[in-house]
Amino acid sequence: MSILWLVLKELVHRKLNFLLSTLAMLTAVALFVSYFTTAEASRRETTRVTRDIGFNLRIIPKDTDMDQFWAAGFSDQTMPEDAMQRLAKYENVFVTYNHLVASLQQKYLLQGKEILLTGLAPTLTAPDQKKQPMGFAIKAGTVHAGYQVGQRLGLKKGGALELGGKKFTIERCLAESGTDEDIRVFGLLSDVQRVLKMEGRINEIKAIDCLCLTADQDPLSVLRAELAKALPEAKVIQLRAIADARSKQRQMAEKYFAFITPILLIVCAAWICVLAVMNVRERKLEIGVLRALGCGSGRIAGLFLAKAVLIGLIAAVLGYGLGTALALTFGPEIFKVTAKAIQGEPRLLLWALVAAPSFAALASFIPAMLAVAQDPAVTLREE
Amino acid sequence: MVRFDNVSKIYPTRQGEVKSLDRLSLEVRPGEFIAIRGPSGCGKTTLLLAAGGMLHPTAGTVTVDGHDLYTLSARERAQFRARRIGFVFQMFHLVPYLNVVENVLLAAVQAPGKPGPARAEELLARLGLTPRLRHTPAALSAGERQRTAIARALLNQPKLILADEPTGNLDPDNAAEVFQHLREFHRAGGTVLIVTHGAAADAYADRVVEMRSGSIQARQ
Repeated sequence: MSILWLVLKELVHRKLNFLLSTLAMLTAVALFVSYFTTAEASRRETTRVTRDIGFNLRIIPKDTDMDQFWAAGFSDQTMPEDAMQRLAKYENVFVTYNHLVASLQQKYLLQGKEILLTGLAPTLTAPDQKKQPMGFAIKAGTVHAGYQVGQRLGLKKGGALELGGKKFTIERCLAESGTDEDIRVFGLLSDVQRVLKMEGRINEIKAIDCLCLTADQDPLSVLRAELAKALPEAKVIQLRAIADARSKQRQMAEKYFAFITPILLIVCAAWICVLAVMNVRERKLEIGVLRALGCGSGRIAGLFLAKAVLIGLIAAVLGYGLGTALALTFGPEIFKVTAKAIQGEPRLLLWALVAAPSFAALASFIPAMLAVAQDPAVTLREE
Repeated sequence: MVRFDNVSKIYPTRQGEVKSLDRLSLEVRPGEFIAIRGPSGCGKTTLLLAAGGMLHPTAGTVTVDGHDLYTLSARERAQFRARRIGFVFQMFHLVPYLNVVENVLLAAVQAPGKPGPARAEELLARLGLTPRLRHTPAALSAGERQRTAIARALLNQPKLILADEPTGNLDPDNAAEVFQHLREFHRAGGTVLIVTHGAAADAYADRVVEMRSGSIQARQ
């Protein structure tokens, strides 16, 4: 008669102990699975939310006069448009930089008032990246008008706007943003270059940094070192407030999970250990009889450890299902922006199938040793 | 078959030492049916467990079938017990979640050749338990439980059966049936060492040994 058969029969006989043990493991697995599933969603949410705060890096020509730059809001110097391509092709650039957007910005007189005419190229992201690009995509022959410009000129979606003698269709009138975007008119980079008669030129590349550093580490030195190699004719400015907000958000979430994890593990292990000790005590006579029949320590220990492994496997499957269901049910309520991106993580099932039985066996180790150490003569004499 | 040479067993307790066996010497010849009789607490069960390799004596040697039991390792003793010794207990000690056949087959766990269900069912048929093969102990009478325990003890064709008051919880009819089955084992060449505090086994035993306070008092 195999150990597995004995274990199965005992599980069915002592259902309460089995159910309580499975419940402990299942709860732990479900919490871990839902945590890791939503952690991925949380990471995406954090990235998306803080990404939508805006680009936090501005790459401008090295010779830019910074006093003029901050006063005007853009560089008075330009660089060739192919600088963007060179930067994008640089090895490992997407380790530090992402969402690269080349732009050309200049003051432009439109119907007697100064606006900021801004040309934007399509966003460049890492080749294997599935993230949506930032900002909005601009079609050739169209413009997006800032709030203030739209209000002043009475612009409407679908209407026409003449720039540099060419007619552009108004794709969108932007909502009020409270920034200089309100006095901008956005067009495709090539269109704006033709209007400004600055074909092949840009004066800025916007980006987001990818560095996941701790609060006391300074990413700017890393960013500058990388840029010096990739694009020596440019320099980078970091908008610290945005960068710090992203970093703190990410670190806060990680600290919270690091705090909760050991507590969860200890409680689960203690619960399983106590139930296993109770099981050993319940089966004292049975162990004594098995000893009398010639079962060695290995077989006695195997009964309890095999039971723990079996419970772990059952809990792994059920816990994965429950954890994923919890994440899919409540995740979209918590992470509203990336709700549709929350999905089950099949790799977590593999993790659970390895970790849960191992953890259950570890928690049952001491009770198994207690069973082995029992003196059958004492048990059988007590009848 | 079984020899005790000046065997003592002392238990340390908070109230002082308790001598369960006191320089006990006894020889059980192969094929003998020995009944050991004595009051509760005289050391009968201790003697039985020592013979079964489950209780290391404080002093003296216990030899079974030519083997000094307590010079063997724990693993060797367990294997020895599985192959050569069958136990029958007063309280039957059946596993509650296994049916009759499974309880009997429990004895095959460590046995060489691992006797299968056919052997178990044959034994159970001889003991009149064929209608109860798939029943758990809770569904059996006391007599049926003890017969199941006897079948378990006989599964590996042991040379020695150690029975600890096997009829203590049985009515006279069932007790007689148990003794009958032990006698059949004895007549087939097996050795039986049975401990009891009554005289019911006297009619079946070749020899009756009185025990008092951990030592042999008289042989009959």
